[in-house]
Amino acid sequence: MRGPQDYGGLPAGLVDPVKNEHEPTHWERRVDAIMLLLFDPKRRLARVDESRRMQEALGDDYHKYPYYERWLQAITWLLLEKGVFTQEELDKKREEVRSRLEAERNG
Amino acid sequence: MSEHHHDHLNATHTHDGKPIQNDEPPSIEAESLETAVRELLMEKGVITADELRGAIEAQEQRRPELGAKIIARAWVDEDFKQKLLSHGDMAVRSFGVDMKPTELCVVENTEEVHNLVVCTLCSCYPRAILGIPPAWYKRRDYRSRAVREPRSVLSEFGTIISEDRQVRVHDSNADLRYLVLPIRPSGTDDWSEEDLAELVTRDSMIGVAEAITPDG
Repeated sequence: MRGPQDYGGLPAGLVDPVKNEHEPTHWERRVDAIMLLLFDPKRRLARVDESRRMQEALGDDYHKYPYYERWLQAITWLLLEKGVFTQEELDKKREEVRSRLEAERNG
Repeated sequence: MSEHHHDHLNATHTHDGKPIQNDEPPSIEAESLETAVRELLMEKGVITADELRGAIEAQEQRRPELGAKIIARAWVDEDFKQKLLSHGDMAVRSFGVDMKPTELCVVENTEEVHNLVVCTLCSCYPRAILGIPPAWYKRRDYRSRAVREPRSVLSEFGTIISEDRQVRVHDSNADLRYLVLPIRPSGTDDWSEEDLAELVTRDSMIGVAEAITPDG
């Protein structure tokens, strides 16, 4: 069975390399760096294949995520699965962060 | 992992499922998740702020210019070229590149063969040499079509490969990364290695383009 990530050979649209080219944003660089640190020899908290397993488990939602949001979701699930933090800790922290960010965005 | 399936972050995407242009700031959902994960990792002592800053800086320094230097060396030094083609990981070590935990396979373009690199399953890429992959490399359109209609995909990059040249497509994976060794442009016989490196673009090392020719 073909998983959601298995795009090879399927019909798709134009690549449009000019439109689909950008320097990574600060936010993307942060997600990228967090991943690299979790994968590095010092921590070895995740591997590329583990992260892909989580991304592929998104099923049909796989296609809806922008690239780095998909990776972020995958590593969050991995960290929960490995007990680095709990769902409760994450929910609490996220609530707190969200109010802070909303206040910043509203200026 | 099923219990986690209920709290997908609300991905920012348009109604047709295509990602938004990524130069826009992330949604508050995405930014709050990233910030929460980052702060928890720091509070737990898993990563430090210094390590994070260091990782961002290190990734910014991995740019295609590094790959260009490696290609230019291969163009002027036949021994290095042979080593690069046979033992890629070892050859690039002299440029301070550590490919671990992946392997590097360098594929050479010739008058008979043009090589193209894709990762149909994800976004595997020789990041240690070229940095973060371009957005189109990670998108569905390229990943789907590069293996089925490579010549059409190439033409969308303005690259026309004559019918008498074979196009070989290499599908990367988590353990094996490909880098294309483009053809050295003619008319560059007396060029220095440094000048030659200027002709090597990121796209020519992915195989969606050829090296720049001296006359443009």
